[in-house]
Amino acid sequence: MKPVVRAVFAAILLAAVPVAAQFDFNRLIEGVKKGAEVAKQSQIATREFTQEEEIELGNGLTAGLLGAVKLHPDERLQRYVNRVGRWVAAQSERADLPWSFGVLDTDTVNAFAMPGGTVVVSHGLLKRLNSESELAGVLGHEIAHVLRKHQLSAIQSTAGTGIFASLGKEVAARQIGRSGRDIGGLGSAAASAGIDLVKDGFLLRPLDRGMEYEADRLGIVLAARAGYDPYGLVGALQVLASLRGDDASTSISLSTHPSAAERIAELERAVPGLLEKYAAQPQVEQRYRQAIGAK
Amino acid sequence: MAFARILIFVLLTAAGLALAQERASTNRGTELRERASSEARVVTMLPESSPVTVLSRSGGWTQVESGGQRGWVRVFHLRFAATVEEGTRSSGSSFFGGVGSALGFGGAKRNDQAKIATIGIRGLSPEDMRNAGPDPEALRRMQSFRSDKAAAERFAREAKLSAQRVAYEEGR
Repeated sequence: MKPVVRAVFAAILLAAVPVAAQFDFNRLIEGVKKGAEVAKQSQIATREFTQEEEIELGNGLTAGLLGAVKLHPDERLQRYVNRVGRWVAAQSERADLPWSFGVLDTDTVNAFAMPGGTVVVSHGLLKRLNSESELAGVLGHEIAHVLRKHQLSAIQSTAGTGIFASLGKEVAARQIGRSGRDIGGLGSAAASAGIDLVKDGFLLRPLDRGMEYEADRLGIVLAARAGYDPYGLVGALQVLASLRGDDASTSISLSTHPSAAERIAELERAVPGLLEKYAAQPQVEQRYRQAIGAK
Repeated sequence: MAFARILIFVLLTAAGLALAQERASTNRGTELRERASSEARVVTMLPESSPVTVLSRSGGWTQVESGGQRGWVRVFHLRFAATVEEGTRSSGSSFFGGVGSALGFGGAKRNDQAKIATIGIRGLSPEDMRNAGPDPEALRRMQSFRSDKAAAERFAREAKLSAQRVAYEEGR
């Protein structure tokens, strides 16, 4: 309720009742005010992120991550991964998101998707894959997380309804020109929420198992649509399953689950026909080797 | 094609580079075939848990060497496992291994999840995440490498990739 409306409402009530009853009416008004806040909160809890907020949140998360891990300096490799990723993403129902792919300058092994269409993979992962179809499988998996908004669900269940309340407040503050908080284009409330989530360790927490399995199945469909041998994801998972846990370069990757072996078994159970049907599509090995700089 | 693949493999090996040269074992009794096809001649039967060296992959088939014999086995008939014991892992937290992590890496046991997630890692730890400030300049740089749809289509044609109509239902 707007303050003016509330004041008028109160004035009318006060004018109409004996002075002795005013104290109770004040309490009543407080009660009405609280009720309105509760109603607003529950409205916030059930709403969804707008696409703009989703993109800004992803930008905040990515900027936060890039503060901790550098981009790989090989620009040709960066562009190569963007082309593969853009081609796979173009086969999806969210082809028009501002898809952006990045290679991190670390020998550790992992890949990660942010809301709004940003996907990063580590250089250590690229070095261990054998073909573009394997990369397409990995990127397809990550793209599927974005399509199904898996991270947004995780953020909502981590941050609770509070995240929407803060988005509302800061956007409102910015609208009336009092924000003053702009970190190189990351000034939106959603972007700062993303930055805070990185600091809180959000990126270290796993997604739900069901989400991983779903992203595997959809990733395989996307890779097949893009014309690749869809066994690429299976190959990538096998490479990962074979990584030695005590190797410093790979030890970071062990916390995710389900394990690669469990995911391979699930794919054999769930989509054998789909895999076979498109198995003769290209793996694109040579271009991949050139791009990652293997001789 | 198969010859070219073997040649590339030999060259890479000579150069000291790894090409999918993982160790694996069969996860069930399976045929070792002469070519990557269920119609191909059976070279030998491999019993469950036969150790193999992986040479290459083609569609649903993996080329392996086992007991001095070369041939192809079904991709799904191989088990790839980290050789290290659970207890010897020095660390194992994923720096962004959670949300969106593509790859389930490694064989961390389910009940190790909590333990692993709290252990710091060489290179990046929860502390690094907490202490690093956002890098908007790197974000802009990364976004400058974006590809547009038309460039991605040209890129696909160059590798003879052609888009297919595949329903999501086929993946269920």
